[in-house]
Amino acid sequence: MKAKLPWGLWRAQVLAILRLELKKNFARKRAIPVYLLAASPLALYAAHSIGYARGWNQCTGHEDLTDFARVFQLFVLRLAIFFSAVAVFMNLFRGEVLEKSLHYYFLAPVRREVLVVGKYLSALLVTCVLFGVSTALSYLMLLSHLSQTKSHALAGPAMAELPAYLGVTVLACVGYGAVFLILGLLFRNPIFPTVGVLIWESILVFLPSILKKFSVIFYLESLCPVKVPFHGGGAMFAISADPTPAYLAVPGLLCLTVAVMVLASLCIRRMEIRYGTE
Amino acid sequence: MAVYKRGYEGYQGKLTPEWSRFLVIARQAYRRVLDSKLMITFLVLSFVPPAVYAVLIYLPHNAGALQIFNIRKLLSIDASFFYHFIATQGFLAFVLTAFLGPGLISADLANNALPLYFCRPFSRAEYVVGKMSVLAILLSAITWIPGLLLFAFQSYLEGFTWFRENFYIGSALFLGSWIWIVLLSLLALAMSAWVKWKLAAGALIVASVFVTAGFGEAMANMLHTESGGLINILKDMDAVWFSLFRLTNNTGLAFESAVGALVAVSGLCLYLLSRKIRAYEVERS
Amino acid sequence: MSGDNQIVFEDVSKFYGEVLGVNRVHLSIPPGITTLVGPNGSGKTTLMNLMTGLVRPTRGRIRVLGMSPNEPERLFRVLGYCTQFDSFPKGLTGYDFLYTTLRLHAKGRAEAHQLAMNALERVSMTEAAGRRIASYSKGMRQRIKLAQAICHQPSVLVLDEPLNGLDPMARAEAIALFRALAGEGLHVIISSHILHEVDRISDQVVLLSNGYVVAEGQIQAVRGEMHQEHPLQILVRCTQPGLLAARLFAQDHVAEVKMHNDRQGLLVSTRDPDLFYELLNQLVLEGTVEVSSVAPADDDVHSVYEYLIGTEGGAA
Repeated sequence: MKAKLPWGLWRAQVLAILRLELKKNFARKRAIPVYLLAASPLALYAAHSIGYARGWNQCTGHEDLTDFARVFQLFVLRLAIFFSAVAVFMNLFRGEVLEKSLHYYFLAPVRREVLVVGKYLSALLVTCVLFGVSTALSYLMLLSHLSQTKSHALAGPAMAELPAYLGVTVLACVGYGAVFLILGLLFRNPIFPTVGVLIWESILVFLPSILKKFSVIFYLESLCPVKVPFHGGGAMFAISADPTPAYLAVPGLLCLTVAVMVLASLCIRRMEIRYGTE
Repeated sequence: MAVYKRGYEGYQGKLTPEWSRFLVIARQAYRRVLDSKLMITFLVLSFVPPAVYAVLIYLPHNAGALQIFNIRKLLSIDASFFYHFIATQGFLAFVLTAFLGPGLISADLANNALPLYFCRPFSRAEYVVGKMSVLAILLSAITWIPGLLLFAFQSYLEGFTWFRENFYIGSALFLGSWIWIVLLSLLALAMSAWVKWKLAAGALIVASVFVTAGFGEAMANMLHTESGGLINILKDMDAVWFSLFRLTNNTGLAFESAVGALVAVSGLCLYLLSRKIRAYEVERS
Repeated sequence: MSGDNQIVFEDVSKFYGEVLGVNRVHLSIPPGITTLVGPNGSGKTTLMNLMTGLVRPTRGRIRVLGMSPNEPERLFRVLGYCTQFDSFPKGLTGYDFLYTTLRLHAKGRAEAHQLAMNALERVSMTEAAGRRIASYSKGMRQRIKLAQAICHQPSVLVLDEPLNGLDPMARAEAIALFRALAGEGLHVIISSHILHEVDRISDQVVLLSNGYVVAEGQIQAVRGEMHQEHPLQILVRCTQPGLLAARLFAQDHVAEVKMHNDRQGLLVSTRDPDLFYELLNQLVLEGTVEVSSVAPADDDVHSVYEYLIGTEGGAA
């Protein structure tokens, strides 16, 4: 007779790990850079609204929506969420090794797979909440400012795009989180692969379509409601590719995450506690 | 113990000069640096661009090459040429800093080594200068030193008149490199001191450049102002380099504003260092 | 004794690259207090890490009460480990540390709270429990580590140098705690350098040197197997020591007899203590000598350590 899986036990343990991680990593000064990154778009939009109210800048509603899309894709996704994921997910296990506290988890009656899931979910919860709230508030600030301009008619339809932006934000946390979780496990000095990923995603616009698929940002930009054409230096060398439809992009990112979790679980299962070698 | 039994005497021998003691730290750091094959490979590869630039300087003065390629028309060896050299080497210097910088102070902090340093006649300033010298020497080797050699090479091939007329390029190479070296070193040390993890320090070094650059651009987009560029360290350095090389400044930032921003960043780094480099740590219960 | 009540190492070796951790270890550790004794680098921590799954053996098999260290979800319900690492999760108070550990054990809120308070009381850390661990003294950190190892009421307790940093009073309390736990039927495995305390608390010892087990068992039994190479030294206080010495010299099993400085006793080295005691009894009954005290001088851990491992680290 097959034994029933102890889902109740695993749920309780995942919740315990979540509580511990939130207390240890996010309710402390060390999380300030992540909070600042999440708050930076809010500061920008607040300044923009104040600037418009005082007549320092004049812009049309259409420009505002395009600017939001540009800032969202080029700053929030590629930099703010990217580096927050580096700070949060890469340190889930690598940080514990550096602090010599990973063995406390290994000495608890927790399956290593459950440990990986618990830690990943704790980091995902924080990043999704922070950047989700930041994105939502930024967009709502933009819409409230929009409704006071001549383009107030755009505000209603634009509201329908908020769920898409929130969905992309969550998927960005999921995708980048998985990538940096596994980089933190596989590499003792993950800075080089991090810089490698950053450079790869920066030059993505110049790469052939087939290579573009090996990145998280390509799928995220496919899901964004407003497309932002590339205007920078070398625009003539940019190669455009058909965006991936949502029914492929979303499951693709989720499959990537599941694959990473499986690989991470295997790594953790085989991991030994030897702090002296770090 | 009876006085006559006390045989111990303090060291009476010669002491090294006080000014050179910070080099002890640099020597120890170099041992670790030069142990890394990856580091050696990167350093070697960093000399490839200067070699390429040297060939590009030589070709216009070679009669045979002139006949075949007509290079003088394609490439002029001027301030813009040397600006691109310093920009290239400046990027390599940043990568080198991102790799070396994190481990400089964070390892000492994580392993409680600071009390061991400061219980000796060794000041905090000497400690910081010692750590900075690790980066300063290596970054110099890939920036202004090959830059000045290229400048000297070009001057040799063109003659004294060219040298006299373009002396400002040499001084721009030297001064521009040192500004970048000091900024990178202070940034790397401050990030390394602020977090105890080498990994987090590395991420912070990279993020502090790219995220500020991105935020500056986002500010420019949203607020329709060029002032956002001030928090973009790369843009500030570009503005400084453009001014030093007497090129057209297309960054939208004035030289004085850019210098002010860089000084502010350096001041912030020094403040962070002064807070963190101490022989003790206060833990609030 | 069934294997399910023991901690068993079957031909276990562990290499860290080219560096030997332990080699060809065969051990069966019964309930009670077992102390791992050996110089630095002898493999004590490696053995502990192997039995708790923090490192995996290069070769061989380990079973802890019938469970493999590769099943942490089963093993750590019954095993607690107080490691040598003086590091803790950042930002937690002593109470938080224990409470969250117990929640990881899937204990409910009330139960976790109660068990945490019990553990804190046992290690006398109740008053400091609300303070951050980073502000604790070394001794307090050691005690909180101990509390973390015992809070979930394990059957096996593995303690890597648990008395480090403790003042004499705290040491005595800790030793009393280990005795009490062993008396309740736990396996208590301790590593220690403090040989006189090892003597006091251990039921059995495992001596390690250079990654090899050089001896295991009760200390007197181990000493008993060494009489040929290292004759037992017995201090006899008596009248007429010269007369006793003369009778002893005639015995084959007596290796050496030394007169005590105060000439009121002898230090006898014998390869067969039973024969020696028999002879001594006979002499006393004959009235040849009056004996005021008889005591072995080198059947403690310290002596066994010196003989087997010595100051040079001993032979493999």
